[in-house]
Parts: sequence; C-alpha cells; structure tokens
Amino acid sequence: MGLLQNIIFGVITGSYIAIAAIGFNLIYGIVNMINFAYGEYLTLGAFIGLFAATALPIPLPVAVLVAMAGGGLVSIVLARAFFTPINQTGPVPLLLTSIGLGIALRNAIRLVAGREARYYDTETTTFRFDAVPDLSVGSVDLLGGFFVTSKQLIVVASAVAVFVAIYGLLTRTDVGIAMRAMGDDESLARVRGIDTQLIRDSVWVLAGILAGLSGVLLAIQTNVSATTGFSQILQILSAAILGGAGSPYGAIVGAYLIGIVLALSTAFLPSGMSGLSSAIAFGILILVLLVKPSGIAGAEVREA
Amino acid sequence: MSSDNNTHVSRRAVVTITGVGGIAGLSGCVGFGGNGDGGDGDDGGSNGGDGTDDTDGTDGGTGDSDAPETITLGQPASLSGQWDFLQPGISQATDAAVNHINEAGGPLDAELEVARRDTAVDPQEARTVATQLVENDDVAAIVGLFSSEINPLWDFLQDLSTPVITPWPGSTFLDTRGGDKGTPEDVSDDEWVWRTVVGDTVHTSGSAAFAIEEGLNTLGVINGTTEGERSYVEGFVSAYEANGGTVAERVEVELGASSYQSALSRLFEAEFDAFLMSLPQESAITALSDWSDGGYGRQPILSDTLTSQAVLDQVGSDLNGAWGATPGQSGPNYDTFEEIYTEAGDADINAWTPPAWDAVQVAALAIERAGEATPEAIQRNLGPVSRGEGTAVSTFAEGKEALANGEEITYQGAATPVNFTQHGNVFGTVSINTAQDGEFTQTSEVSAADVRSFVEEGQY
Repeated sequence: MGLLQNIIFGVITGSYIAIAAIGFNLIYGIVNMINFAYGEYLTLGAFIGLFAATALPIPLPVAVLVAMAGGGLVSIVLARAFFTPINQTGPVPLLLTSIGLGIALRNAIRLVAGREARYYDTETTTFRFDAVPDLSVGSVDLLGGFFVTSKQLIVVASAVAVFVAIYGLLTRTDVGIAMRAMGDDESLARVRGIDTQLIRDSVWVLAGILAGLSGVLLAIQTNVSATTGFSQILQILSAAILGGAGSPYGAIVGAYLIGIVLALSTAFLPSGMSGLSSAIAFGILILVLLVKPSGIAGAEVREA
Repeated sequence: MSSDNNTHVSRRAVVTITGVGGIAGLSGCVGFGGNGDGGDGDDGGSNGGDGTDDTDGTDGGTGDSDAPETITLGQPASLSGQWDFLQPGISQATDAAVNHINEAGGPLDAELEVARRDTAVDPQEARTVATQLVENDDVAAIVGLFSSEINPLWDFLQDLSTPVITPWPGSTFLDTRGGDKGTPEDVSDDEWVWRTVVGDTVHTSGSAAFAIEEGLNTLGVINGTTEGERSYVEGFVSAYEANGGTVAERVEVELGASSYQSALSRLFEAEFDAFLMSLPQESAITALSDWSDGGYGRQPILSDTLTSQAVLDQVGSDLNGAWGATPGQSGPNYDTFEEIYTEAGDADINAWTPPAWDAVQVAALAIERAGEATPEAIQRNLGPVSRGEGTAVSTFAEGKEALANGEEITYQGAATPVNFTQHGNVFGTVSINTAQDGEFTQTSEVSAADVRSFVEEGQY
C-alpha cells in the first residue's frame, strides 16, 4: 500500500484528535486555561454512551447524542464546582487544579467502573478501491489501491460535521460572536455588555459535548476504560498547541498534521524506528513552535 | 465581647485538636512498630489478641521461643494497569495456597499471610512496593513481579536480598540470572530471583518449533515497545531462525494507539507465511480488529497473553485458526491444585495461575526446611526442596510431614515439576492453543523433554 492509503489513515487519526482538540482549544482560548482533565471528559463521554447503548438499551446513534448531552452536563458541573470559583486566580492555579481533577476523575472512574475494558458492539463494512493505478516514485507508491471502513467514514464525517457546526456557531450566532469577542479581549467584551460568565458556561458545555462525541468515537475504535481519554491527551494537547493555542481552526490543522505525520512515520521510518512515530510528531511540534511560537494559525495567547 | 470569646474558644479548639491528633498519631506510630506486622490491615483482627501475650511485641510464643506466630509473604500485584485482567486468578491461587498451607499447620506452625500491594506493573511503583513490603510489612519473601519490573530493578532487587519467587516473568533476561547457582549453602554467588513459570526461551522455542513444523517458514512480527513484548518476540525469533525460519519484516508500535492500520499496512507489504503479534491485550484487540477490517489475512500467531477469550470475543471469527503457545498447565500435581483452586472462587485459570500456587508452596516448604523464616534461610532452601532425589511431595502438607520425619523432599508442582535450575528457572510442557469456534482449545503440546532439547545446557 502506498502513500495515498497512509494519508487516509492519517486523516482518520487526525479526525479523532481534531474533534477533541477543538473543545480543548475553545477552553484554552476563551476560559484561558489548559484543561489537563479534558481526557477524562472523553472517558466519561465514552462510558455514558456505552451505558446508554447497552443498559438502556438504545440505538447507537441515539446513544452518541446521549453521550454528547451527558458530556456537556458533566463539563459544566465540573467547571462550576472546580474552575469557576478560581476563575480570577489566573491560568497556573487553573492548570494545577485541572491536573488534580484529572487524576481524581481517572481513579474515581476506575473505582466505580472497574478495571476491565469494555467494548461497543458494532459491525464494520470495508470498502475496497483496488482499481486505483500505482504511481511509483522511487520505492514509494504515491497512489495504488486503498480501503476505508464504515467506522472510519463515520469518524471523518463526524469531524467534518463538527467543523461546519463550529464555524456556523462562531460566525453566525450571537453566542459564537460573543465567544470570539471574549477570546480577543474579555474586559472589552464585558464593557460591551457581554455576560462573560454565561459565555464561559457556554464554552464549557460546548467543549463537553465535543468530548462526549470524541470519547464515543474513540471507544468504538478501541475500548472503554478508565484511560480511554487519558491515553490521547498528549496528542490532543499537541494538536491544539501546534495549530495555535486558543484557535479552534488551528486545532483542526494541527490535528490533521499530527495524524498524517504519525501515519507516515510509522509507514516509512526504518524498521528499528517504527515505534518512534509519536516522537517524530512531537519533534515537528517543537520545530514549528521554534519558527512560529504562536502556532500555525497564529492566535496569540492572552496573558494572565 | 462575643467575638473575643469566639476567637478564644476557636484557638483552644485548634490547640486541643492538634494535641489529640498528635497523641493519636504518635500512638499509631508506636502501635505499628510494636505489632511488627504492619500489614495491609486485613489481618488486624487475628493479630490483635496476640499482642497481649507477646512480651517483645513482635512474635508470639508457640512453645518454641524462636518460632514466629505469623509469617508474611509479599505480593506485588497488577491490581490496576494493562495487565490487571490476569491478577484475579493469581490472587485466588495465592490465597488458596495460603489457606491450604495454614490448614496443614502452616510453616513452622505459624500462620502464613500475604501482604498484597498494587504496582500497576510500573517499575518505579514496583520499587516502592518492594521496599514497603520488606521494610513495613516485614515479609520473608516476595511472590510476584513482572519482567517489566524485575529487569530494570535487577540491581535494586539484589541489594534488597529478599527472595523473589515469581509466577510472572518470561523475560530472556532471566535465563542466566537468578537462583542459587547450584550452591544452596553459599549465598555469596546467589541472585535473588526465582521463577515458577517457564521462561519465554522455553515456550517461544516450543512455539517457534511448532511454527516450522506447520510449514510456516517466513514470518512478519508486530510487537509493543515494552520489555515483556520485546523479550517474547526476541525469544521467538531467535528460536525460529535457529530452526531455519526467516523474519521478513518487524514493526514496533506504541501502545494505546487509536489505530494500528499504518503499522499493519507496512507489515503486510512484506511476503511471509504467518505473523507474530505480541502486544498487551487492549492494544492487541485494537490491532487485530484493524487487521480483520483491513482483510490482511495470513496465519496469526499470538503471544501467550493473547490466547484469551476476550480477544476472541472482540475480534470474531476472522481469528479462527490463530494459535499461541502458553506455558503448559500440566505439572505432576495440576489436578490437586485445580480442585482446591476451583473451590476457592470463580476466577478463570490462566497460564500464570498454577505457577502462582507453586510459588507459595515452594516458599512455605523452604521455610519449613530452614526452620526459620528469614530471607537468607529461604534463599538457601529453595533449591534443596525443589530438586534432587528426596521424597516427591505435591503439597505443603505432605512436605511438612516428610520433613518432620527427617526426609529430604522434592516438590512436584501444579504448572511444572519445579526443578529449579542453577539460574532459578523451571522447565515444563508448552501448550499450543488454537482459536476454533469461538474459543481457544489446546490442540497440541510440546513435551518438557523436547523443550529442554531446544535450550543449551547452562544457558537457562
């Protein structure tokens, strides 16, 4: 299989990361905090979806909606309980609180849900496109036959739907415009009559909804356990920073860049180095930040 | 005025609470030290009454002034982490062995206990836990630790000078490390690790020889980057190539990825007859599901931990025909173990369960033969109770009786005969388990004698 197939794999990996990275970056840009507990939001979304799909039981698409709603609810409750009371203390206390909350949530989930991994019951169909001709350059085949599965198509379609919805929200609704205004200058937004606390709450709910969706999609591909989201948090964080801290659009670019680099480095690195794909992705992150510290999208990070 | 009074009362309350807390804390410290047990709390009830008769606060009298009242074995456990699915069987086997030994009178007529602490199979946590077991729980020996923990902590474990008798590690690192070097009375050349499970060298040799027999002459390999997975693969590949096989491609992958399609795509670019997968269960299920979705085909060979029902349930019928080799469960006294084990609980038996039973039995017999429960005495006696020409015993009860009659003994285990080599290793049969109709069934077995022929003398 050639470059095309591996780019497709990269796009799929990027789609998983992108949905979560948008939520992560919305919080970073508007609430002005790095939320290290965000991985656990994904985990909770995965568990809520699994519970809805198996215990209630309801069809998987409805369970996904339940997980998104549940994710939004969990996010606002946790924000109100742990982050809103220390909003004014600046990003460092918020960051430390989120690290502690993440550890506490992860262990609480393990205590309540147990140790073993659980699985969504899904069927997968594979679509093959073997008629695509080869186009070799040296030892690399640029085109060639490829395949995608129904699961992968759903992930990519979900990501595209999220991008369109976020774009619509941020450009066509009052809440979205207020979010962008607050992201630029919170004091000025308040002076202009924007209820900043309401906007913060909206961001928390929105980020929770995205975490719920991302958690279920990730769990369908892998499994549901206490570390489902935590195992992805480094990639989410990297995508967010690479794309441009605080910029939801930058997060999309960063996520796909990381996904494609992961796939290509696994495919083309020398045999003994194939396990270093993440290191390569993070190496690119460092290089980009050295050249452009504000990330690809160039969003400036607010000062505390 | 009232506010002044409140302030005064509040200060007094703070001072009072601090004082009471300090006294309670100091009492607690004194209490821990006096008990000399410092276990995990499970045994508090049984020890509580003993302290009144105990003049030195450590060991109770049983008629023999040197005999302890309780003897504790430490068990570092995978209660959480990626190997936690294997621990229930190990805990049940350990507890069943301890109960069985206590029903037979216990080593040195003392009550045997287990202090179990979670390491999550994290080397740093394992180091802390091993220290706590020795320093706080005062254990006589340790019955646990994985390859991923032992190998990086090797020097630390030698400095700890407490026997580690473990049912877990397959690592080839231990092939020539550990045991008493055939000189039980001389501990100066000893290395303090013994394993009651056959090493990867043994069952990967059996597995590789079986693959060649099946006409699978070229191999693709996909494995994780941790010590356990690498060791398994290196053991397999070494034996496979020694038997004439060729490895066409090897891909290492990170654990916990959302997809392994890129790695599989790369692997299956190469031409080979079968592919060997060595990953922890959750990552392996993701990778094998990707393999199934991608229709890559060819013969899967699974590492020992992957011949589990969960893997088969999640991946489905595409896995039919996949096989893996596991340490055999056919020691001379497997039936004795199985009967007692199944009465003790409902945890499934896996390849490491009978070795866990053997580890406790052989530790207790070493204590009984030594006449004392010190780490060095146990280290000196693990060899003599397991190898040689003594009376064959299948349980602690039989061994205790034989030793009381002045006989030498040789313990015959549940997983293997437990004839420790000079490096503290054991030989045993290797089972080939094949996925058929939704379950893994044993389809072939490589005998211990055949397995022994694959391994160079003195190199295991």
